[in-house]
Amino acid sequence: MPALLEVRDLTIEFRTKAGIVHAVEGASFSVERGEAMGLAGESGCGKTTTALALMRLLPYNGRIVRGSISFEGRDLVPVPEDSMRAIRWKEMSIVFQGAMNSLNPVQRVGRQIAEPIMLHEEAEPEASFKRAGDLLELVGISRNRLNDYPHEFSGGMRQRVMIAMALACNPKLVIADEPVTALDVMIQAQILDLLERLRRELHLAMILISHDLSVLADTCEQVTIMYAGKTMESGKTMDLFTDPKHPYTQGLVGAFPDIRGPRNMPEAIPGDVPSLISPPSGCVFHPRCKFAFDRCTKAEPALTELSVGRRAACFLYPQVTEVPPRPIAITEV
Amino acid sequence: MINAGITIFGIICLNYLLIRLMPGDPSLSIIPRDPKFRGLRDYMISFFGLDRPQWEQFVIYLQRLFTLDWGVSYQDHRPVADILFHDLGWTLLLVGTSTIITILIGIAVGAYSAVRRGKAFDFVSTGIGIFLYGMPIFWLGLVLQSAFRKNSVFQTWIPGWPALPTSGYYDDRLIPWNWDIVHLADAGLHLLLPALTLSLGTLAGISLVMRNSLIDVMTEDFVTTARAKGLSPRQVLRRHILPNGLPPMVSLIALDIAFILGGAYQVEVIFRYQGIGFRTIEAIGSLDYPLLQFIIVIGGVAVVLANLLSDFLLLWLDPRIKIS
Amino acid sequence: MGTVDVVKVPGAISPFRARATVVSRRMQDIGLQVFHNKTAMAGLIILLFFTFLAVAAPLIAPYSPLTAVPDVGPLTLPGGVHPFGTNQFGYDIYSQVIWGTQISLLVGVLAAGVASVIGTAVGLISGFVGGWIDEVIMRFNDVVLSIPWLVLMIVVAARLNYLDLAGIILVIGLTGWSVTARVVRSQVLSLKERMFVERGRMIGSSNAHILLRHIFPNAFPLIFANTILTVAISILSESVLAFLNLSVKSNVSWGRIIAEAYQHDALTIGMAAWIIVPGLCIVFLVFGFYLFGYALDEILNPRLRRR
Repeated sequence: MPALLEVRDLTIEFRTKAGIVHAVEGASFSVERGEAMGLAGESGCGKTTTALALMRLLPYNGRIVRGSISFEGRDLVPVPEDSMRAIRWKEMSIVFQGAMNSLNPVQRVGRQIAEPIMLHEEAEPEASFKRAGDLLELVGISRNRLNDYPHEFSGGMRQRVMIAMALACNPKLVIADEPVTALDVMIQAQILDLLERLRRELHLAMILISHDLSVLADTCEQVTIMYAGKTMESGKTMDLFTDPKHPYTQGLVGAFPDIRGPRNMPEAIPGDVPSLISPPSGCVFHPRCKFAFDRCTKAEPALTELSVGRRAACFLYPQVTEVPPRPIAITEV
Repeated sequence: MINAGITIFGIICLNYLLIRLMPGDPSLSIIPRDPKFRGLRDYMISFFGLDRPQWEQFVIYLQRLFTLDWGVSYQDHRPVADILFHDLGWTLLLVGTSTIITILIGIAVGAYSAVRRGKAFDFVSTGIGIFLYGMPIFWLGLVLQSAFRKNSVFQTWIPGWPALPTSGYYDDRLIPWNWDIVHLADAGLHLLLPALTLSLGTLAGISLVMRNSLIDVMTEDFVTTARAKGLSPRQVLRRHILPNGLPPMVSLIALDIAFILGGAYQVEVIFRYQGIGFRTIEAIGSLDYPLLQFIIVIGGVAVVLANLLSDFLLLWLDPRIKIS
Repeated sequence: MGTVDVVKVPGAISPFRARATVVSRRMQDIGLQVFHNKTAMAGLIILLFFTFLAVAAPLIAPYSPLTAVPDVGPLTLPGGVHPFGTNQFGYDIYSQVIWGTQISLLVGVLAAGVASVIGTAVGLISGFVGGWIDEVIMRFNDVVLSIPWLVLMIVVAARLNYLDLAGIILVIGLTGWSVTARVVRSQVLSLKERMFVERGRMIGSSNAHILLRHIFPNAFPLIFANTILTVAISILSESVLAFLNLSVKSNVSWGRIIAEAYQHDALTIGMAAWIIVPGLCIVFLVFGFYLFGYALDEILNPRLRRR
């Protein structure tokens, strides 16, 4: 059975005054039904851009330059905008980070949750609001709060509201972009538990985006690591953590202080994130990589399968091939 | 609300001070010692008690103010209060009409510019906006007046160029006011040019502010959420962007009300429109001091009330604001 | 705080020179940004043009603006030596327009200066000190703001029967400080919350020190950009007053020219330039200030608008 979502060679560019920003390059991953996949990496590495691209929500100066997004076997990249609108929220929805501004501050919460229901299913307002109330209760909020405004909720509760809203049309895939970043640790745990429970009960597929690996460790079965727009490694969560292949992943995992064992200083990865307008030649990580050798500066490693379900893009592994130089042609989307 | 009260009181006091405490001028000398002004001097002395001690004068002033006993105009011997309230009505009509026009067009242009940001329309309209922003309203009025008068140059150039009445509605002191269609239509026609001038003058500011406010809103996360829900761009604009873009605009307009009123005064003078502004200029020209005394108060109160109104409007529009 | 002995380290420059270097480098940096900004340059060109007119007026104006020209009579139509014609007294209008630049620029800049200084001082004090002083000042500000500036100016101007240059500048300046004060105050309020104020207090700096050394420099870009916009408004105010015959009597002002043109029905008698040109001058001069001020504001206040 084909995966629910299969992304291949997704490349996204932004046109800015300073030049063309290569936000994402050659991203490839897949998500099965009911599976949770984590997308990890530092700020600005392209995770959110990828997520937005999946729903074709890129800002006006961004475009998908290459690649395919296969949802239930259908490539979404060439789909015209009005058809896309029918897909949005109904097939897949998104929960943003820092729900401070993700909800319309001048509209009541109930109305916002009911809005997509009325839109996509052409339901009556009364039925929609009843469903909105059900959804609130599903995430643990009393349905009396349907008529409240977003600013009357705490941060954690706003996030729950957003989750309830995301589930409004029974989507098959929910993308959660930094769902717990702005919250304190106790609330973080609650929200993650909630997501996990909902996923199991509703058989949802999820893409969880975070720069915090610990968030992904518990909830996801698969993890994809991104850096400066490129995919570095992907595989089963357990495997990635216990045996990271890519030096970057090793760095990330090694940056964790371990409660058990001797007290070692966590290792930081030296250097800074490169510019996305003029990325370094060859492997994009080589300036910060302690294993870098000559080939790394000249050619770009391709994301290659090292073993079943495990892929990495690093020349340390002999199977890894080089990315062929790309033609400059740009496909309009 | 208390603020408004204090402000009004402040205006009253300031007005008093202004007239009285001009550099080195005791009040009596504001009226020239020309024999032809004898009547005025006597009147002023008796009405305002100018021969009494200062503090008493102030009390008399306050008394007169609040009892709406504002004396009699020197020019035409009608009660000042009557004249001023009557004129205030006309001024409010002018400002009200033009503000409505301005807001409607301003929102439309601003929204269109914000959505088509960076493209031709935005560039052109913003440029025109900044250009118009700096245009002296009286000059604009003059140009429009000359363009639309009966034998204007434009009539000879462009056939069918309409000739609009170029003065404000003739005062109904002599003609009793009827609410029938003929009168209303005529009043409306006479209102057209002045309102148009004032609208154009203030339009630029409002559409620019609207545009910026909307652009700020458009970059917020909840707009992306709205798009993510599958709403069409128009739905997103109407339901999410606009309701959030309006409150800042209302606050900014409120701040500008004094400025708008200043523009209204200019328009009134140019078009001989019988409002507060026109009256002020006349009063200065004919040294009608009783009138001048209270014109400032009226103007100030109008502004304060307008600000209060906009505060209430904000309260209704934006649920985040609470009465503290 | 006790005194600190300044130790002369060989090769070190005095703190004064160090600061001066930093400032001048920053100015160069800003200057470069201005140079590359199209809007700023456009505005600057317009401003330079008018400044040139104002400064060179005695040289480039063919006639004196307040003397009847010898060759033709009053109210002559435009043509030949008199591209805009002559007014009702026989003065050459073209020269009048050129000379008018002086008043507009002079009054505009100086009045804005006055308004800015007062407004900044008031805003700084009000915002920084807070408390009841702030309340009182703000109420007073409300009052001044509430009175339509035109009325205020007219009444004040009418009272001062003899209006010279200083008078007009004062009148406009004294009525225009309220907006600047508001703007500066809110900036000060937000700056006050910043960390460096806390730190300043912790190491024992006096309030005055914090105000001058920390708050003011941070607020300065905003104040500067705001001043430029105030100039634009001052120019407009002056033109309105001139139109109502309340401006400086001894010089010629664009507003006054327009008023005279209006009185003599310029458009009907075929002297359109008489009324149009001074108006356009006002518009363009103000436009220049707006462009420059707007661009400067963008440069000095990097905002997140580019999203």
